[in-house]
Amino acid sequence: MTSPTETSATEDEHKPSIRPADEVRILASGEREFFMDVATSDLEINMGPQHPATHGVMRVLLRTDGELVTGAQPHLGYLHRCAEKIGESVEWLQYLPYTDRYDYLSAMNNNLSYSLAVEALMPELEIPRRGTMIRMICAELNRIASHLVAFGTYGLDIGAFTPFFYAFREREWIQALFEKICGARLTYSYIRIGGVFNDTPPGWLREVADFCDVFEGKWQEYYDLLIENHIFVQRTANVGVITAEMAYDFGLTGPMLRGSGVDFDLRRDMPYLEYGQAHDAGAFGVPLGTGEKGTLGDCWDRTQVRMKEMIECLGIVRWCLEQIEPGPIIGNVPRVIKVPPGEAYVGIENPRGELGHYLHSDGGKIATRCRVRAPSFVNLAVLEDLMPGSLLADAVAIIGATDIVVGETDR
Amino acid sequence: MDFNAIAEHLSVANVPGLLSVDLPRPPDKKTKDKGRSGLPHVCVDPACMVEFLTFCRDDEALGFEVLIDLSASDPSVDDENLWILIQLLSVRHRHRLGIKSLLPKSALSMPSSTRVYRAAQWHERECMEMFGVTFEGHPDPRNMLLPDDWPGYPMRKDYEFPKEYHGISCE
Amino acid sequence: MGILEEAFEENVLTTRVDWLLNWARLNSIWPMTFGLACCAIEMMAVGAAHHDIDRFGAGAFRATPRQADLMIVAGTVNFKMGERVKRLYDQMASPKYVIAMGACATGGGPYFKYGYTVMKGVDRIIPVDVYIAGCPPRPEALLEGLMALQDKLRRTSVIRKPARLQPSDPA
Repeated sequence: MTSPTETSATEDEHKPSIRPADEVRILASGEREFFMDVATSDLEINMGPQHPATHGVMRVLLRTDGELVTGAQPHLGYLHRCAEKIGESVEWLQYLPYTDRYDYLSAMNNNLSYSLAVEALMPELEIPRRGTMIRMICAELNRIASHLVAFGTYGLDIGAFTPFFYAFREREWIQALFEKICGARLTYSYIRIGGVFNDTPPGWLREVADFCDVFEGKWQEYYDLLIENHIFVQRTANVGVITAEMAYDFGLTGPMLRGSGVDFDLRRDMPYLEYGQAHDAGAFGVPLGTGEKGTLGDCWDRTQVRMKEMIECLGIVRWCLEQIEPGPIIGNVPRVIKVPPGEAYVGIENPRGELGHYLHSDGGKIATRCRVRAPSFVNLAVLEDLMPGSLLADAVAIIGATDIVVGETDR
Repeated sequence: MDFNAIAEHLSVANVPGLLSVDLPRPPDKKTKDKGRSGLPHVCVDPACMVEFLTFCRDDEALGFEVLIDLSASDPSVDDENLWILIQLLSVRHRHRLGIKSLLPKSALSMPSSTRVYRAAQWHERECMEMFGVTFEGHPDPRNMLLPDDWPGYPMRKDYEFPKEYHGISCE
Repeated sequence: MGILEEAFEENVLTTRVDWLLNWARLNSIWPMTFGLACCAIEMMAVGAAHHDIDRFGAGAFRATPRQADLMIVAGTVNFKMGERVKRLYDQMASPKYVIAMGACATGGGPYFKYGYTVMKGVDRIIPVDVYIAGCPPRPEALLEGLMALQDKLRRTSVIRKPARLQPSDPA
């Protein structure tokens, strides 16, 4: 072989014969560096619908330039189950199991939203106080269970396998509590029109109090394990920043909005059930994103809001346990419910945002229109603007922090 | 502000498109009126929806920064109108507003509200595929939840359930 | 095992080989992460520590169909997703098995009557080995279904082609 000190004429023979270099730089060591302008093209990658990190069957069509995402287009509809059409086809009470199944992680809250909307159309129906207290306890326990899944699966997406097992350990306890009260672990259909359908079994309230005491210690463990973890902070801080204006424009609600620093929680500001009284008694506060690890409104802020909300839920549960008294649990609901004609929209604070039902009745046994305003559907739209400019690994972090449930996006 | 104050403010400001106000009323045996329960809303002309929503968003006293919901409803097969239903929320004033528009089924088109609220984009896509409404000026009118070649508009009251799709039975 | 089918009569050597191969296969069924809807959460609960699926050897959930033996269809399949289900099933390498978990995958579930876009059971597009009832089935029910699949595997043999269910004809 020729030695390196040959003339350029023989060196040309050893260069790849594609193109000559566009630029040659001579380094201090005497070596030469060749720069070539290589034409790259954007790669279109399909993320999903079957994917371990998309939290369900969601498809995101990513356009990437190497590792940098230049465009993202979510495609939905892979779990469209015609919930709104079913709302127009079955009776009022028969629709309740379908409400469980849109946001299946917070089924109690879904039942509550639908029941409150129907009760808004039936003004003469009185809900007894014990029913309201049990509703609040179940809704808040469900919020803890839902945030536990969000925390566990977010760790899984980022690459941390351990928090998932811890989160599900606590979740099993909550599911056991719900199984004692209504017989189901995931899709309860427990909060019904007029109250709740089953009274608490003996000893249940004491078990809930025990759970609250044990959970606080565990919560601190999880916070230190994942949320304060140096690697997790580096993966999620300054990633997917949503400003307050952007949040308003996209219609975001729930932890997505509070993570950007906006102080708004439907339970405190437009109260339903007895959350207003609970707040006035100091039972719970509203945690907000602070931007302490990075920028205000990044993924870490949203995750941190969800974690801190779990502790506030315990406060509400404890307040309800003090307030609850023996009594009836369901109002005077007829066997076949006929809702008087009218229209109402009622929105409540779901773990993911505002879940609203718009119901239109013409006085019969079946609704004329049952529109579901699903928070995950609205929250997902922000991905189109958040993902471009981030790296591929950050795309997964952004989807995880949005905490969507595809049953809700597609209904 | 409660609903009456909001409605008052809207009519005093002479907002384009405001037609009327629909309040709940108890049933009346004398006029055989079944009554209307639930929550009140304002009725707005669909052609002026963009100006109406812009006013709602930018006015200081109203301050509706968030579009909560935009959907449609087909009240019945005989009704000649489709309803467009919009819910707004004001975070700083802590109040809501319900808006209803009547669109004749023979002329199902209205301007798109995506310029006012970005949240409307996906809601309008869903309305387009479920009811067949056309939102003029919509930047991305693809099917949202249904497959791209799904026939018909499922949420209309006269929709017939299909018997099969691509060779697989639907029954 | 195409070359060995019908090549020998069943004798003590083939039964020993059968026993060994079946023992190896049924104790290491690797499922594919195919959670579609609510049943997926119960599948995740089965994968978690309380109801551990790893003690059955089936704890290694593979995301890619090429490395998976078992597809647990957990959730509702609609027409848009069904296309992808079929494609993923075809991408899996033999021997492959399917568990239809939950009422929706078995026969449409609660969406049977009015779900226009829901496929009434995943066995319309892929052959199913085990059906698990429930909405959602308890994690113990999924484990029982897995054990039923293991029983089915115990009965397979290298010299006999296993009887497979065919996708049911469109009605």
